[in-house]
Amino acid sequence: MIPIEWYKQFHRPKTYVTLGIAAGFSIVLTVVLAATGSGQTEFVGDVPLLMVPRTSGFSVPIIALSSTMKFFLPLAVCLFAGESVAGEAGWGSLRYLLAHPVTRRRVLWSKAAVAGFLSVLAVLVLAVVALIAGGLAFGWHPLSVGDGSASTPAHPVVNVIQVGTTFAHLGIGVLYVGAGMASIFAVAFFLSTTTRRPLVAVAGGVAVTIISRIFNADYLPGIQVVNNYMPNNDIDLWQHQFTRPADLSGFPHFLVLQVIYFVVFMALAQLWFTHKDVLD
Amino acid sequence: MIRIELLKQLRRTSYWVVFGILAVISVVVTIIIGLSSAATPERLGDYGSVIPNSSGFTMAAIALNALLLFLIPLAVAIFAGESLAGEASWGSLRYLASRPVSRQRVLVSKLVVAGLYSLAAVVLVAVAGLVSGIATFGWHPLSVIDLQQASPFASGLTTFSPLQALGRIGLATAIVAGTMIATFAFAALCSTVTDRPFSAVAGGVLFTFVSRAVNDVPGFHVLGPWLPVTDKGAGLWTQVLFRPTDLSGYPHLALVQVAYAVVFLGSGWIWFTRKDVLS
Repeated sequence: MIPIEWYKQFHRPKTYVTLGIAAGFSIVLTVVLAATGSGQTEFVGDVPLLMVPRTSGFSVPIIALSSTMKFFLPLAVCLFAGESVAGEAGWGSLRYLLAHPVTRRRVLWSKAAVAGFLSVLAVLVLAVVALIAGGLAFGWHPLSVGDGSASTPAHPVVNVIQVGTTFAHLGIGVLYVGAGMASIFAVAFFLSTTTRRPLVAVAGGVAVTIISRIFNADYLPGIQVVNNYMPNNDIDLWQHQFTRPADLSGFPHFLVLQVIYFVVFMALAQLWFTHKDVLD
Repeated sequence: MIRIELLKQLRRTSYWVVFGILAVISVVVTIIIGLSSAATPERLGDYGSVIPNSSGFTMAAIALNALLLFLIPLAVAIFAGESLAGEASWGSLRYLASRPVSRQRVLVSKLVVAGLYSLAAVVLVAVAGLVSGIATFGWHPLSVIDLQQASPFASGLTTFSPLQALGRIGLATAIVAGTMIATFAFAALCSTVTDRPFSAVAGGVLFTFVSRAVNDVPGFHVLGPWLPVTDKGAGLWTQVLFRPTDLSGYPHLALVQVAYAVVFLGSGWIWFTRKDVLS
């Protein structure tokens, strides 16, 4: 089942276009940084991390991940997850798929596996292309990161992170962002089993991302109680790896939260899909 | 025409869902703040600071501040994007266009109604915040700190009487609605071009993202003042909650919004009056 689904999804223009946009974003970002403000200090994230792109190509994947993890990557994930089952229903071929001598559960999970793989691939493509493009433009030098929250105008706090360590931090960052997409993926995938219009499922997943953005203590400090339970809010914690001492205390909470969202919504998806009357 | 259009749209469930979500989120924000951290200062735009439990009026401003980033532009894009493309997707645009009414009038009444709905969405956010805020925190004078004026020697604190606060909030709502004009016009243009409402809505939303993204790219800062949607422009409404009120940014904001509106709505008009309506 998985190879068939894989083959089917991989021959759709949507897959190429989405992955192409992820790669294109990184390249455009590098070109713009190189052409315009590469000597200026960039403020990245909420820490904020202060980086001068020209001094190290590693700054480009950090900027690329930071600027896409809150909307564009969730959107790509929603496209893959939301289309998976609803897309089949939209073409009217879902009933024929289920007429095969394969359990519904297996159909569902092979679709989920392929959509999940493509989602992770989107994150990877974005980061790897940014790493290569950034390195070609500015070189893979040790990364100097200013810690914006610890610095004062009189005492800038700058840490120089060696190439190997930066590489490891980036790898963990990619994994963290990828794992952080699990909640949104599961919501969009669940919606995908309930509707035959793929756009509804995609829009629903994006809506969850947006609601997470609104109930965010960075904009609304009073909302602190719910902040830590929103699916996408703590997606930026990986940036803290680049401060010294690195504060990683939020990691376990966020990852457990992702697992909970994932399990709940995937279970709902399975429950719904195995019981529904498939008419499309 | 306008009355028919207004009634037609009023019966659509999806529009009520949009209004419902806007109102519910404003109210939920009030409830969460009221239950958990009513005394924590909230930021308004770049320089405003208010303490929610000091007055119910703060919640109207907080709701506007929280929703103008994504949800209000989304609602505006939905109303503008659905206007003509929605009709086209039902396949009834051709019948509408074949009536003895000029296309221009069809377009104008569609857009006037979409504009009224968009305005209603912004007002609804403020009203839902205001009503839930006053119910939670009471009808008290509104105190706002202007962090630009605040220093060790001056608090930057301004207090408005309840009625003044009501007026200022009304003015703020109007300005927030004004910052949506370019987004509205672009989604409306998309709506005349495509037959798929979703594409028109997505076009409007993408427009705001692209504008914000371009604004965030260092080196493109020269373009900043001329972009339709920026953090600076979107935060300008907070000025009317400060005293002394610095109105100097508004003429430029209005100029930019109107310029985009003229270009996009003009193109939409040219396109729609000349296009072959096939759906």
